[in-house]
Amino acid sequence: MTPVSRAVDRRPARAGGKPTDDGAAATDGSTAPSTNGAGRAGGSALFDGYLEPDRPNPDAFDEMFNADGSVRAPYRHLHDAIAPTAAADLAARSEALDRAYMDQGITFSLSGKERPFPLDIVPRVISASEWSRLQRGIVQRVKALEAFLADVYNDAQIVRDGVLPRRLITSCEHFKRAAHLLNPPNGVRIHVAGIDLVRDQEGTFRVLEDNLRNPSGVSYVMENRRTMARVFPDLFTRQRVRAVADYATHLLHALRAAAAPNVADPTVVVLTPGVYNSAYFEHSLLARQMGVELVEGRDLFCRDNVLYMRTTEGEQQVDVVYRRIDDDFLDPLQFTPTSVLGVAGIMNAARAGNVVIANAVGNGVGDDKLVYTYVPQMIRYYLDEKPLLPNVTTFRCWLDEERGHVLDALDELVLKPVEGSGGYGILFGPNATAAELQKARKAIRDDPRGWIAQPVVQLSTVPTKVDDRLVPRHVDLRPFAVNDGEDVFVLPGGLTRVALPKGSLVVNSSQGGGSKDTWVLAASRSSEAERELGERGIASAAPARGPAAEHGPELSLGQQQQQQQQQQRQQRQQVQELGGMRQEQVPFRTEVRR
Amino acid sequence: MGWRIRVVHETGYKYSSPVHETYNEVRLTPRSDSHQNVIVSRVETVPATRAYRYEDYWGTQVTAFDLHAPHTELLVTGTSVVETGEAAEPVRDATWEDLASEAVRDRYTEMLEFTEYVGRDAELARIAKNLKRGKDPVDAALAACERVRETMTYQAGTTGVHTSATEAWQAGKGVCQDYAHLTLVLLREMGIPARYVSGYLLPRQEVEVGETVSGQSHAWIEARTGGWWGFDPTNGIPIGHRHVWVAVGRDYADVSPLKGIYSGGSAEALDVSVHMTRLA
Repeated sequence: MTPVSRAVDRRPARAGGKPTDDGAAATDGSTAPSTNGAGRAGGSALFDGYLEPDRPNPDAFDEMFNADGSVRAPYRHLHDAIAPTAAADLAARSEALDRAYMDQGITFSLSGKERPFPLDIVPRVISASEWSRLQRGIVQRVKALEAFLADVYNDAQIVRDGVLPRRLITSCEHFKRAAHLLNPPNGVRIHVAGIDLVRDQEGTFRVLEDNLRNPSGVSYVMENRRTMARVFPDLFTRQRVRAVADYATHLLHALRAAAAPNVADPTVVVLTPGVYNSAYFEHSLLARQMGVELVEGRDLFCRDNVLYMRTTEGEQQVDVVYRRIDDDFLDPLQFTPTSVLGVAGIMNAARAGNVVIANAVGNGVGDDKLVYTYVPQMIRYYLDEKPLLPNVTTFRCWLDEERGHVLDALDELVLKPVEGSGGYGILFGPNATAAELQKARKAIRDDPRGWIAQPVVQLSTVPTKVDDRLVPRHVDLRPFAVNDGEDVFVLPGGLTRVALPKGSLVVNSSQGGGSKDTWVLAASRSSEAERELGERGIASAAPARGPAAEHGPELSLGQQQQQQQQQQRQQRQQVQELGGMRQEQVPFRTEVRR
Repeated sequence: MGWRIRVVHETGYKYSSPVHETYNEVRLTPRSDSHQNVIVSRVETVPATRAYRYEDYWGTQVTAFDLHAPHTELLVTGTSVVETGEAAEPVRDATWEDLASEAVRDRYTEMLEFTEYVGRDAELARIAKNLKRGKDPVDAALAACERVRETMTYQAGTTGVHTSATEAWQAGKGVCQDYAHLTLVLLREMGIPARYVSGYLLPRQEVEVGETVSGQSHAWIEARTGGWWGFDPTNGIPIGHRHVWVAVGRDYADVSPLKGIYSGGSAEALDVSVHMTRLA
């Protein structure tokens, strides 16, 4: 990025200064509902016809507006800031966001095509109390799933006690027998979890699915925030938004804590399938922020059950591998013999206790869509607690009576393949043709274990910019949890994905979705340091040290690639210094307002 | 315990150009149970390697090793001395109703499901149904073994390591691995939990003490009808003095004696020999 383009980026931020001024006036009214807040949703031109009765899925819970058009409390400041914006301003801001992402080259691959990831200009807001409930529910869920995985790969006591059938586990494609009795030193298997949540018609958060293998998307959480803070610093002055930039610090801490206790200063690496992987950007970002090497399978090898990294200064033992490669490709000796992405012998090295694989091999048995339906029982069984976050009602085609219901009511249900991901293979009953339904019924009868069905959940909506208006679009939420063995940290925020086509309930980015910056509001008494832009977090997101300081020796392979990374890193630091200058101003202004 | 048998199982690899890196897992170590008592067992390689041992999901002793010194030959030798017992009677403790119960079907689900080797086949399903009629589970299982033996012709070289039961059935020929897979298809169709056993068979009944004969890697099955019991469908005999078992699993893939990957060399020649000596 050149200084010129940075200047361009900043211009819309200044253009956005006007709403700030208006907002400052409006903030005075924060105790009483502001004019806009109390008014109808149509009070601003941007929101014209927002709650029109003939919109698709009118029963969906809108997160900004009550049914009577008044603004819900967590969104009040945001609404007041945005509502007076002229349509032209909105367009300028939106362009600035797009440009910011294009300039950074942040793209995702959609069915093989690279595209910029659409970031919507309206953030999604979660109040402190809502978040506190979510956070406790996520921690509970991760703990129960940890206990489940530990059990399944040892004695499977839960099966002996008849809580769930053995064949639920043995029939799961992601149950890895090669991981049997492979117990990591600190007991953690779910170093990183992504728990997908949706909000139903009543506004209740429900778990849609757990992701315990290689949940991706956290880079968007951080980049969305960084970009929003650059382009709309004014929005952040109105309320305290909790920081997300320290994710990598938590991740590195958890990975180091996972190493065998005898290792004083563990070497951690990030193992990526390579530049062609759709999440490569995230792999490189996390490695850079943690200050650890980003490696490919060919950079590593095992000898006598010890994992080494090839470097220009010789072999270096690796203690923890944060791998972003699927189980099946991780170890050609145990899984797919033709895999060139993985490292032969790594499973036995882990079994011998010489290296820790994060996330653990075989975690997929815990996020199987059928196993998911048993998570509430697991929470009661392992933790003796009441589940804090409800599941979405799910019908299991492998149980005769539930399959009967699915076959009868398929035209009202969403049918999902148990092994599917990325929104592929999902059938929306209400939109399906008779032929499609017939085909689906046959598929269910042929492979009952392969399908589950859920009622259509009218995902909640959040105002989203489409053309020059703000209109309701459906969203979900993927918060990220990091387990260091002592505590489960939940990053305050998460990836909010938004379904951009009108009426669409499919939020997956592989199905043409976009994303929103997700704001978790700080509790009113929380310290200044907790707040986004009130913290050093943004500026210190990347290691301030030179790249070589904490790094081991350079890899013998791909040095050119390394150099490119270093260039990026330097550019990033420049950008962050820029952000740092702004930071000094922002808390100051907040003080004045008080 | 009746007989004492020494088994020497040698596998040699030859490469046309030097191999620089090889990772292997060997399943050659017999385990003790009511049928056999393992006196000594070891796995050695030439060139020498540092072995790592663990017990896998199925309870089999695995010896893993890797070799990084360039080599054009690799010899893996498994040597065991095992005391073997007499043939045991089949366990007749379960009725068809017992086997159909949810408890049994769930507990032994892995030994009832079909795999790539032990795949479903309409013709075999029909045969299983007919064989089952009017018999108790044990007699039906024995009838299935008999049916496979009388239908198939034992012929080495017609099938390979990757041949499925159905393919062998269509060929009408095969080796012990195919006989075992076919029998498993029939037993699982009947609803009898059944597993694949790999091991060794002393080829002749009348072997002098001290005499070394060329033996063979062998495979047979075990069925669960209230308790596990074995039968050798290839020879139509129960599991007795001449059998030494090493590993059990759903099919061959779970118990393969030697698997590994290597890089460097281009072609390979595989040479396997099993020598068995009756010691007592």
